[in-house]
Amino acid sequence: MIISRAPLRISFVGGGTDLAAFYRISPGRVISTSIDKYVYVAINPTPLINKVTARYSVVEGVNHARELKNDRIREALLDLGIENNIEVGTFSHLPVGTGLGASSSFAVALMKGLYACLGKRIDRKEAAELACRLEIQLVKEPIGKQDQYAAAFGGFNIFQFNPDESVDVEPVLLDYKKRLDLEDHIILFFTGITRAASDVLVEQKANVSEKINTLKEMADSVLPFKERLLAGDFKGMGEMLHQGWLKKKTLASKVSNKIIDEFYDAGMNYGAWGGKILGAGGGGCILFLAPLEKKEAIKEALKDIANKNNLNDFKEVPVRFMQSGVEILSTDGININH
Amino acid sequence: MEEYIKNFLLKTNAVLEYLPTKEIAKALNILQATYERDGRIYVFGNGGSLALATHWVSDFNKTVFDHHLDKHSRRFQAIRLPTTEEELTAWANDVGFEMVFAGPLRNYIQDADTVVAISSSGNSPNVIKAVELAKSFKVPVIGLSGFDGGRLNQLADAKILIPTEIGAYELVEGIHGVVLHSMTKYFKDYFDHLLERT
Repeated sequence: MIISRAPLRISFVGGGTDLAAFYRISPGRVISTSIDKYVYVAINPTPLINKVTARYSVVEGVNHARELKNDRIREALLDLGIENNIEVGTFSHLPVGTGLGASSSFAVALMKGLYACLGKRIDRKEAAELACRLEIQLVKEPIGKQDQYAAAFGGFNIFQFNPDESVDVEPVLLDYKKRLDLEDHIILFFTGITRAASDVLVEQKANVSEKINTLKEMADSVLPFKERLLAGDFKGMGEMLHQGWLKKKTLASKVSNKIIDEFYDAGMNYGAWGGKILGAGGGGCILFLAPLEKKEAIKEALKDIANKNNLNDFKEVPVRFMQSGVEILSTDGININH
Repeated sequence: MEEYIKNFLLKTNAVLEYLPTKEIAKALNILQATYERDGRIYVFGNGGSLALATHWVSDFNKTVFDHHLDKHSRRFQAIRLPTTEEELTAWANDVGFEMVFAGPLRNYIQDADTVVAISSSGNSPNVIKAVELAKSFKVPVIGLSGFDGGRLNQLADAKILIPTEIGAYELVEGIHGVVLHSMTKYFKDYFDHLLERT
């Protein structure tokens, strides 16, 4: 059995500029970090069982890969010519729909694992490219490329998406003190609202041409954000997050809604420097950068709003930043050539 | 005589000016990621470089956690290759000297691991052989080289090249020692800090 994993991510600024509708006109840019929450994929060849089994939030058992309902697993298997005699299972610290890129982390871990199962090791860049191909071309998700790269490479990075489809990866070399300090100043909450990114992104894609200047500003804000990060200027970063969030809200009508605005305003009123909804928007996780002494008040204020709106799944999500990206954890019993 | 010594130090200082700090930082990130996935770190080189490898392994495995040996659930697993002189001579005598690192590495290597290769010329055939094996496993390579970096600097993911004239082993090996100590000190301070803040 092969066990692979890929981390989830927090993106700070530049999200949305990783959509092809934008970066084919002007290079997109995103700054993000992987976190200590992972998606695990287990792949087990079953030579004597002439079936395909997919285990995720449900269990599917079918005779041929093309009958699978799970679109990522189905398209990946068909593309690699694996029709049956295989089990694919997944385990995750957090569910999909939280804005932390879990579905792309799954795609990355899946491609890394399936290739290993076929006896081939792929590197981080190949894993990112194959996961993009799987999700964008084969499954036809209306999503961008930042999540696949964040999950594959791991760590704090700037990704630049070029019009020719190439992607430049620039690690942000942050020392341990600044990294731990930044972790301390971040508060992350799951709003209790899950959503499919595609709902928001379909509209956002259609709006790209009229929002081109806003998107250019968002891509351009990545470099000054990095400068503030390297200088340990968390307040300045928070202010940039706030500006970015205001811009992001204009990209599509579903990025925010009444409850999200209520959460966000409460965070700001109780002293956050800035924040944003993670991922496409419409729900998922909300992030704040705040002075240490304001964190408790912000937590209480958001908890009150969640209670008032009956969001029972609302929860603070403690996170640490990680360096590791997609990995094979075990190749037990599988012979990988090289 | 003092003039001669001063001259040597001047040369060392001149090379220190060009220390590739960005590549050293990348190496620290690679080591951090290896720690996170509980991978192992294999270190090797010839002659003085093997001595550096052995010295670094002992520091890295113990000194990093020295102040709080019992307080970390996980420690670094750095391993000098080959691990015994018997293994070294067996590979050299029975198979060939170019296999003294790649042979033992093939026994240990797994997907979560990392390789630190040390070669002043960057062209030692036995070092390159092992690095090529690591690359085929898609395992990250930290390369410490000198002179013009040679093949090692081309292959490495973190390219720690100490640029000198060809043959200046006395400069390259000394500065490799400084770089390796900086990596140990970084993680020692990091793990101390982790405990102090909780």
